[in-house]
Parts: sequence; structure tokens; C-alpha cells
Amino acid sequence: MAKNPVKRYAMVLDSRKCIDCKACIVACKAENDVPLGVFRNRINAEHGGAYPRLRASFDPEQCHHCDNPSCVRVCPTGASFQREDGIVQVREADCIGCKYCMIACPFDARFFNEETKVVDKCTFCSHRVDRGELPACVETCPSKVRTFGDLNDSGSALHALLESRRYRVLKPQTGNGPQLYYLL
Amino acid sequence: MDRRLFLQIVGAGGFAATSIACPKFFGKGRRAAEPPVPLGIPTTCELCPNKCSVLASVRKGRIHKLNPNPENPKSRNMLCARGNAAIQQVYDPDRLKQPLIRAGARGEGKWKPVSWDEAFDFAAKKLAETKAKHGPEGTLWSSTEGFQEVFFKNLGLAFGSPNILRHPSLCLASVNLAYSMTFGTVPSFDLQNAKYVIMAGANRFESIITPDTMDLIGGVMERKAKFVYLDPRFTVTASKADEWYPIKPGTDMAFILAMIHVIIREDRCDKAFLDQWTLGFDRLVEHVLPYTPEFAEAETGIPAREITRIAREFADAGHRAVFYAGRRSSWYQNDFQMRRAQAILNTIVGNWDREGGMVPNRKVAKGEFMFLPWDDPKAGRVDEVEKNFPLASAKDGVYLQTRENVLKGAPYPVKAWMIYKQDPLNAVPDQGKTLKMMEGMDFIGVVDIAMSDTAWYADVVFPESHYLERTDPIEVMPGIWPAAVLRQQVIKPIHDTLPMLDIAQGLARRLGLADYFDYTIDQWIEAEARELPVENGLEYMKKHGVVAFSEPKYGTTRNAAYRFVTKSGKIEIFSERLAEAGHDPLPVYASPAQPPSGKFRMILGRKATITHAALAGLPWLHEQVPENDLWINQDQATRLGIRTGDLVQVTSTAGTVRIKARATEEIRPDCVFMLHGFGKRSPWLKLVHNVGAADAVLLETAWDKVSGNAAMHETFVNVVKV
Repeated sequence: MAKNPVKRYAMVLDSRKCIDCKACIVACKAENDVPLGVFRNRINAEHGGAYPRLRASFDPEQCHHCDNPSCVRVCPTGASFQREDGIVQVREADCIGCKYCMIACPFDARFFNEETKVVDKCTFCSHRVDRGELPACVETCPSKVRTFGDLNDSGSALHALLESRRYRVLKPQTGNGPQLYYLL
Repeated sequence: MDRRLFLQIVGAGGFAATSIACPKFFGKGRRAAEPPVPLGIPTTCELCPNKCSVLASVRKGRIHKLNPNPENPKSRNMLCARGNAAIQQVYDPDRLKQPLIRAGARGEGKWKPVSWDEAFDFAAKKLAETKAKHGPEGTLWSSTEGFQEVFFKNLGLAFGSPNILRHPSLCLASVNLAYSMTFGTVPSFDLQNAKYVIMAGANRFESIITPDTMDLIGGVMERKAKFVYLDPRFTVTASKADEWYPIKPGTDMAFILAMIHVIIREDRCDKAFLDQWTLGFDRLVEHVLPYTPEFAEAETGIPAREITRIAREFADAGHRAVFYAGRRSSWYQNDFQMRRAQAILNTIVGNWDREGGMVPNRKVAKGEFMFLPWDDPKAGRVDEVEKNFPLASAKDGVYLQTRENVLKGAPYPVKAWMIYKQDPLNAVPDQGKTLKMMEGMDFIGVVDIAMSDTAWYADVVFPESHYLERTDPIEVMPGIWPAAVLRQQVIKPIHDTLPMLDIAQGLARRLGLADYFDYTIDQWIEAEARELPVENGLEYMKKHGVVAFSEPKYGTTRNAAYRFVTKSGKIEIFSERLAEAGHDPLPVYASPAQPPSGKFRMILGRKATITHAALAGLPWLHEQVPENDLWINQDQATRLGIRTGDLVQVTSTAGTVRIKARATEEIRPDCVFMLHGFGKRSPWLKLVHNVGAADAVLLETAWDKVSGNAAMHETFVNVVKV
């Protein structure tokens, strides 16, 4: 497959390697000046069983940068938009804080930022990506749960993982086309 | 799309290519021969003992973000939550901003901000008075590890005190001593290449150690290694293990001895290895006869057939099987002997110095700065370590024995206490005793970056510059992937703070010891950099922050000429030196005391965001764990009428705390657990002041018999709903 000149950024997560260490969360806070008490990313922990037969799993999650993002569709001002490379963002100057997008997001990936008075969310650290760097959560992850890259680049590590491994996306029934791929 | 590729593109576009000093040091898998030019100022994290390499990006004079520096193979190109949160220590509005002298009673919280001159004059006067009255041995100098600890320690030594008290006896002294007594050195474990890993309690996925945590999660989750984990608590590590056993606390040694029993009985040892390199195997054969899997089942609660199977699988993995040593505080009074049993189990499968086994550490060579030497102290140590713990390190001392003897005033009075970068009130079991020890002091001086509980009770507080504000000596990190790292200044100090070297010099000048500190940090690191295995060492370090070996080397000690640094020159399964010192020459198991009816054993552990007491109050870490709670088994909680969120009173013979309960399935019914770092006394630690409870209040004084290492799991507590 020839390399497509248009990029389509996505993330593959190998949740089994997640040790719930919160490095991604703190790195995101530092990189993006996220206020205390609200988060652009999270780790969904599930604990189950009874002593001594117990289990726990940890799934990192953030904005899925969907192909067909419902948040963008409902935005009355066009503040929520999708870049050509697939990254979904909020143009702060145009956000009126109506929060429709927060309700429309099936992944609860958005929050209202009381400091900036606009809706806030993961940007895949587009400012870093545009400089040729990785998103902060990807770069910092101790157990290398995350692989970030261009779906259209057949030579990328992300592409190789999706070719060779089984995976799932969350809530496919929404038709949003989420772009966080969880390895099975 | 990996970072290295990105860096190359950026490097080619934006920066001149650097010259290659020594290509063999560059990271595994690096695509270009040339190292990338870092995108920030390379320096070295100080939030825990791992010392990961970081790149600090600064915007308009403010540190914006810390990123991992991929050039250090030991830190595995990552930065954990704690490392990321270091920025908040720098910009903490409550950090120590200028020297302070106590104005009211100790602990009353009345402080007079003073100039450095005033602080130095005051402390020097007090130290000189103590020396005049009690001799230099009347002063105690305690510290935890850090790159500038050397200057603090040297000040104590130059002052003439024998009482330099370092942190290992609160940490890993028992582990180090046990492996040293067996192999003459403390090895690392090659978890990247191991095929079978057994770990007991070391909770490596929450208590992060580089590169072990990363290598183990990679190895286990990529199905390259089988992982068996023993812990009374269902930790994150337990959740990732192939098998988890909630072993009865204090019985690890029975499990290990039974494994040895099975491996010997079934003739699964590495005979050739044992014949050539070890001493005392024949005595081990006799020794482990009674330690059958059935015996171990009765002790540990783990079925004999499982122990037998695990022993077989372990031996079958041979030199790629490791019983991981762990690295944390001692747990029980037999801790040294339990670690010896581990070392012996590893030995009999022949994993010494093999890929996937135990590997003796390599070092990166570095130079030493030559300073004026001082006379040895005239007095012996106050902890009388030579008498009490003849095998322990007399250089580091034994913390709990020191406290016992200082409280008794024997063999002589100690009346002044200088403390660097350490919070004994939280780091040492039995806070009440430590407070009593502080009350008995004529003078207490503390060097720290924040108003710790211990600083709160001091007479003078010297604010140290944060690690991002100072340049430290070059540190060699031994290991399978050894590195030499530089911590260099990223921003100028934002408050009236000084590095430890300058503090030592300020005091030394007033104590007539200036000649011993007649140098600058630049001269010091220049001397160290001279012998680094790269050209233009100092320049290289400033540009890259690290010089490291990226390829492991195995088998260097497996040659006929090699003599192990033990009495016999061999690996000592049987230790004559132990027998001479009055200890068991082979590990003998004794059943540990169990909590009496109605009581619980208190156990400790860590979380990835909170390893050290100082970290719980950093806002980004604090919002992950705003308060600690007491884990108690669900059935026990139901029996006691306790529900999650209820306030409970926890009592030991050392003290009482009140803390919220967490009724959970994830702990044995005979144990309770709480995190470290909460329930602080210092009001300047706003987020954790009087929030939750401090484990140190409850922990009783107990130590490992051989190393003197504080034994942290020997406390039984009683829990009642308030």
C-alpha cells in the first residue's frame, strides 16, 4: 500500500500492560495545563471476584477522535471540529459553553473547563504532534501501553499492530467510528 | 512512528548534528548512528531512587514539562506520574523559600525568616556548643540517598562525628547483606530475558523500579515469561500475574525452602554449576530434608502440590528462572535469612550471571574529585554496630539501634541532630519514639525542600534548592544496563535556597572546616567527567545527561580465574562467616507469631503515585489518592460492623490513629493495610495535614536480627469502629 499523503491519527492501546500508574494522566495535566479535579484522560479500573479468586483490569481512555464525531455534529457554532488528520478539537474562541457536545459524546471524554470557560478535551497533543513529537501520554507511559501513529502509513508500528493483532473499539454501535483501538 | 524517528526529522531540520563520541554507548534499536539532539535540558529525576533521565522543557523561564530522555536505557524511555509531578514541587506556594529559625516552642509552628548568614551562624554555634560539651560524637548526621548526600555526610565526617546514619537500614540493607554474604555482591535480575519469575511482595507494578517494572510487564504480557506472585494483598502486580497466592505473612521462607527441597529431591539442580562455583551444597541437601512441601503448606497456606509444581517449573526454566529479590524495607525479623534462602534457591538452578538470570552489576567508570581528607573519628558509633550487628555496614549505621541508644543516652549522649532530605518522623517506625528522641536534642537542623513533619520540629530549617534548580555530582547507576547520569540545573533557584554543597560550605566556614570544602560543584563534576568512557565527558554529559551501556554482558564472572568476594572465593550456600557471627549458616525457618484473636497484622506497601512520604501531597498525585484508608477484609469488616467509609480507630502498642475503612475482598482476613504519606503533622503540607493517618505512628520497633534493618510487618493492631 502506498503511503497516503493525508494522515489519519489513531491510537492503539494494549490494556493488559496498563499498571494503573497514572503517569499518562499526570503527564497530560502538565503538558496541557489541565486544572485540578478534571481530566482529559483516565484509567477505567474494574475490580471483581471474591477473596481469594480476584481479578482487576485497567483500561486507559480519552477522546476517541472518532471518524464521524457526534460532538462535532451537534456543535451549534462550529467550535468543535475535526482536522484533516482526524484529530477532533475545540476552537476556544468559538465555544459558547453550551455543552451539547458533552452530552453527545458517547465516551464522556469532554468536560467544562472552569478556568478557560470552554469545553475541553484530549487533542492527541496536536501541538506536539505537529512538531513531530508524540502525545505526552504516549511518550511518558512506563509500560508502553500506547502506540500512536498514522493509520494511513502502512509502515507505522500502529499499522503493524492492527494488521497482526485482534482488537476492539468501544461502543461501535454508536456509528461514531472511534479511533482508540484496544488490543485483545 | 516512534519518537526516535521524529527526533531525527526534527534534528535534521532544526539542529546541527552532534559528533559521535563513542557509538557503542547508544541505545538498542536506535536507527541512526548519531544520538538525537535533546529537545529539552537533559537532567536526572530525584523523586525516587530510580534516577530516570529526563528532558526538561522550559518556556519563558518556567519549567513547562518533563519528558523521558530516551538515551538512558536503564530508565526505559519513560517518566512515571511522580516524575511528571516534580514541577509542582518547584512551584509549590508552600515550599521552603528562605532559611527559618524556630521562634516558639518546638512544633508550635512559629518561625522567624532569617538570612543564610544568620542561619549558618546559629547552627554553627549550636554544633560547636555540642562539640565542646559532648565531643563531636554528640552529633548525629542522618540522611536519605541523593546526589548531594555526599556533601552532607562529609560535613559530619569532617566535623569528627562517627554517627553518620544513612537510609539503608530503613530500606534494603537486609537484601543487600544477604546477597553480598552469598555472592560477594548484590546482583540485578534480568527480567527482560527471564522465562519464569517468582516475586514475593515486591509489588513491582505499583512500586516502580527501572528497568525491572517495565521489563517484567513487557515479558509477562507478551507471554515471554511466566510470573508467580505471593502477596497477602491483591495488588496490581497480583492482577497481572499468571498465579497469585495470598501467602500467610512471614512464611515466605518456608515456601522457598520447600522449593529447594523439591528441586534437590527430584535432582533438578544445575549440578555442574554447583560443583564448580559453590560451597556447601552437600550441607544444604541435609538441611532442607525437613522442609517438605507438606510442611510448607501448613505454614504458608499454599497447597503442597502447587509448591511442588512451581518448584518443578522453576527448575525446568533453569538459568532463565529467577526468584526476584525485591527491594524495599524488611518485613520480618528473619528478613536476612529469608533473602539468603532466595539467593540459595537462585543458585541451585544455576541462574548466576546468565541471560535471564541474576547478573552481577556493571558500572560506568567515572573520576573522583580529590578533597582534603579528615582524621577518622575518635569515638565509636552510638549504635555500636560492630557489637550489635557485626555484619552490617558500619558506614551506614543502623537506624533503630541508633534511636534506642540515643534515647538511653548510652554509650554516650547525642544532643544535636542534623538531617538531610529525610523525614524520620514518617520514615522510621514508631513516631512517638522518634518525637521523644527529638525532644531530647539540644539542637536539630533540617535541610529539605518542603516543611516536612521533621522540619516542623526543627530549630533551624535550611531550604535546599530543588533538583531542577541545581547541578549535582555525576552519579553512577550500576546494573545490567549501567549508566552515569548528570543532574544539571534547568532553571535558576526561584527562592532564596541553596544546594547542599553551599549549605555544607556555609557551615564549614563557621566551624573551621572550610579547607575540606574548598571547591565548586563545577570542579567536582569536571573531575568526575574526566574518566567517563566518552570523549569530552563533561560536554557530552551536559548535552545528553547520560552515558550508558545499552548491551548487557553476561558471564564475566563465569571464568576459572574469577574469585567471588566471599571468604571462600566461591558462592557460599553455607556461610562460615555467618556461623562465626553467631547466626545460622544456612537459613533456618521458625514459624512467625500470628496476630492474637481479634487483632490484625499491619502490612505496608506502595502505590505508583506514592512511594515516599513526601509525595502524597503533590496536587497531581494527591487528586489520584486524596486520603489513605485502612484496607480490611470484607468478611472481617462485616463481623466488626465496619463499612467502607466508616471511621475506625486503629491501635498498636506504639500508638493510635483514626482512619477511614475500606472493606475489600483484596486482602487476607488476618491483615490490614494502609498507604504511606498521610496524616502529616506539618500544617505547611496542606493537602495531607491531618488527612488520613500516618503508618509510622502505629509501627512498632522491630528489626531483622542480622542486618538491623527495620522490620515493618511485625505490628499487630486492633481495629474498632469509632
